[in-house]
Amino acid sequence: MSRESYPFAEDSFSRFPSQSNIYGLCQAGEQDLLAATLKGKVVCFRYQELQQKIRPVAKDVQFTYIPVDAEIVSIDAFNKSPPNRGLVVGITFVKDSGDKATPFLNIYCDYEPGSEFNLESIAQSCLNLELQVTPFQLYHTEVQCDDGGRETVFLLSGHDQRIHLYKENASLHQFEEQPVEKLFPELQPLPSNVLWLDVLSIAGGRRLSAFGCQNGCVGLALVDQTGPEVLESWRFQFDSPVSTVRLFPLNCKNECQRCHHCLLSSGAVHVCVFRDVQERGLSCPAYLSESDQWDAVLCALVIDLDFDGQKEVLLGTYGQALSEKDGQFELQWRRSFKSPLLSIIYLDSTGDGLRELAVLTLKGLHILQHTLTSTADLVLERLAQRVSTLSAGTQLESAKTQDTEEEDPDRIFASLHCATEMQFPQGT
Amino acid sequence: MRSVNYVQRVSLDFTGTLFPHAICLGDADNDSLNELVVGDTSGKLLVYKNDDSKPWITRTCVGMLTCVAVGDVCNRGKNFVVAVGAEGWFHLFDLTAATANKADSSSQHELMYSDDQKPLFTQHIPANTKVLLISDIDGDGRCELVVGYTDRVVRAFRWEDASDSSDAGSGQLVLLKKWLLEGQVDSLSVNPGPEGLPELMVSQPGCGYAILLCSWTQQDSSGSEEEAPATPGSDGPSRDVVLHLTTGRIHNKNVSTHLIGSISKGSKEESSKCGLFALCTLDGTLKLMDSSEQLLWSVQVDHQLFALQKLDVTGDGREEVVACAWDGQTYIIDHNRTVVRFQFDENVNAFCAGQYTCKEGKNSPCLVYVSFNHKIYIYWKVELERMESTNLLRVLEEKPEFKSHLKVLGVDPEDPAAVRALVADVLYKDS
Repeated sequence: MSRESYPFAEDSFSRFPSQSNIYGLCQAGEQDLLAATLKGKVVCFRYQELQQKIRPVAKDVQFTYIPVDAEIVSIDAFNKSPPNRGLVVGITFVKDSGDKATPFLNIYCDYEPGSEFNLESIAQSCLNLELQVTPFQLYHTEVQCDDGGRETVFLLSGHDQRIHLYKENASLHQFEEQPVEKLFPELQPLPSNVLWLDVLSIAGGRRLSAFGCQNGCVGLALVDQTGPEVLESWRFQFDSPVSTVRLFPLNCKNECQRCHHCLLSSGAVHVCVFRDVQERGLSCPAYLSESDQWDAVLCALVIDLDFDGQKEVLLGTYGQALSEKDGQFELQWRRSFKSPLLSIIYLDSTGDGLRELAVLTLKGLHILQHTLTSTADLVLERLAQRVSTLSAGTQLESAKTQDTEEEDPDRIFASLHCATEMQFPQGT
Repeated sequence: MRSVNYVQRVSLDFTGTLFPHAICLGDADNDSLNELVVGDTSGKLLVYKNDDSKPWITRTCVGMLTCVAVGDVCNRGKNFVVAVGAEGWFHLFDLTAATANKADSSSQHELMYSDDQKPLFTQHIPANTKVLLISDIDGDGRCELVVGYTDRVVRAFRWEDASDSSDAGSGQLVLLKKWLLEGQVDSLSVNPGPEGLPELMVSQPGCGYAILLCSWTQQDSSGSEEEAPATPGSDGPSRDVVLHLTTGRIHNKNVSTHLIGSISKGSKEESSKCGLFALCTLDGTLKLMDSSEQLLWSVQVDHQLFALQKLDVTGDGREEVVACAWDGQTYIIDHNRTVVRFQFDENVNAFCAGQYTCKEGKNSPCLVYVSFNHKIYIYWKVELERMESTNLLRVLEEKPEFKSHLKVLGVDPEDPAAVRALVADVLYKDS
């Protein structure tokens, strides 16, 4: 595949009035994106259908209780776990009134029936929590409650080398801080400030938790969710801050069970993938060669970008471009941006079943859409296949072909990559 | 409004300063690939080729270059480069030979320069030139040279070969006609009229335009052409100038206006009659009209538009209107008034758009920005798949087999959620 050609076309770009950061983008609901900018503005991006036309719309959302001198640190949103419904948005910011900077966490959530998903009204109902620490990443994950139900909670990392947990108190209709060790025993004690956290639920009522720290430490734990009880935990030391940690499942060829891989990207060192962490922990790192040549990797994503059932690694970097990789991880393509990349989300913002890449850069939000003509051809081809298997009535056959399509974990194609042109004088 | 970010660009070194019309794209050396021709205020003519940041060819002209053009000005079936200075010096360069010489030697540079650097031909024409056009303006199939002046005059010239035309540069420019206009002329263009004959159009302040009649075609021998210039003001803006003021909101009457004509409609037959032209003003009005004075659309923006070009960015044969503002904001608008914006991150000294061979050895649509810090930026990958945002379902709906597949699979095509789920399943079944 040519390295210059990439299967995406930029559909839109929304310029932001001020810069954002690596915690500044989140998905809100199915199709919407929320992006926070430093100067206290939150932008909601969505595709709107107007007069038979689809238009990208980036609109400021006026979240209450964010003072004018606030600087937003991180933003996150989730839909409440069933049977509860509603969108919850969390925003951390630092209010700098001159003499003393005070950090806050605002949680927005509307309990009014009918407006639980209405962003405008959610933005008006705020719970304002003063923090004792400078906030970093705001993350959410689902936990098992005592009564067997599931609930989504906020996890906030701070500069006090701790993770703080915010859980909804159903009777009071508000979120409150609860001790993290009760639900997340693996997140205590921590060796350093956590820059990035990722939690993945896996089969058998277990979960994997991984975190990357400022001092270069990466922690991983296998936890039995009923309890919860830490079954096993591992540590790995890099020599620079760990900017991103991603856990992702990968189908194995020979086992019916999924094995889990953990991608880590570290500040100045290579991007590194640990394979099969569930079994082998952090014992076998595989470095993406040459991934260190293009400045710090600030964001990473592991997704199937070319619809072949195999996962690809997507890296967004601060600095210059990347060249070819050999071995198991090969560079497929790369695309340059005008300014450093901060965050990537892969979501279906256009509501057509096909997902788009939302890329947050210092300057704004880019939406990269798959090349539609070729994707449409692929869909038609696959539909035709389905139709023919359906008419032949040989369901077995299709199962068989699927088997052979299972991926070989040693052959992940990887590392697409996004770089910036440094000669632009406007940088930062 | 949709906006995009172009990133593939090359930067060229350019240390001088230039007038906004002293830049153009064209095939200067007749190799069917386009070059960038730039003239600066010190009289240097620079020709850039491919992605080379240094000029491919540099030539020295007399005076301050105000406009450059590439075209078959001598009607010999090959392009020449024309550079005109403010003082009225017309320079004609033949760069076809330069290709061969350039390939020959790099060591003999000094020797070569002594002779080759000279223009093929120079002539003094009236001074205060501002804008230049090489095109067939009277429909005789031969190109004329039209020059717009800062003193609201437009003159048309024709190249006439010397009777004993053995030498390539023997011949001269002969004045055909002089028109006097009421307002400043910022652009010259040719547009097919309602009958399909070319009409010479010039822009007039306040979003207006004027059609200049080529009277020599009607009264070839009767009228003496020298008489009209001799009595300026007597009959004021003569009957050879047909002024049109476009309707709409009340314009600032003096606002500078640009114009571009012959905007391709996709097919040859359609474009040749009742041509499309666009107007833009410094206060942000953009209009697309056809030569029967019908307004197709009008767009109001809050940027100061100073350059207007046409470029087919979608590759469908229809040319989009491209307007650039001083602050780098660039608008690309198609015939249906769909707007795509691009922000160039610097102030713009001069702008042009067109076909240029940057990479890959073939012409591609390019946007060219001259900045104020000694660089020219060429965005060489500006093609868009489509002007409007769309999604996969709309693309699929245009394919007849999609509906039939849905029917067989038992999915209701009218149920967007079900279709969406099916598409997602087909694409991401394993993840």
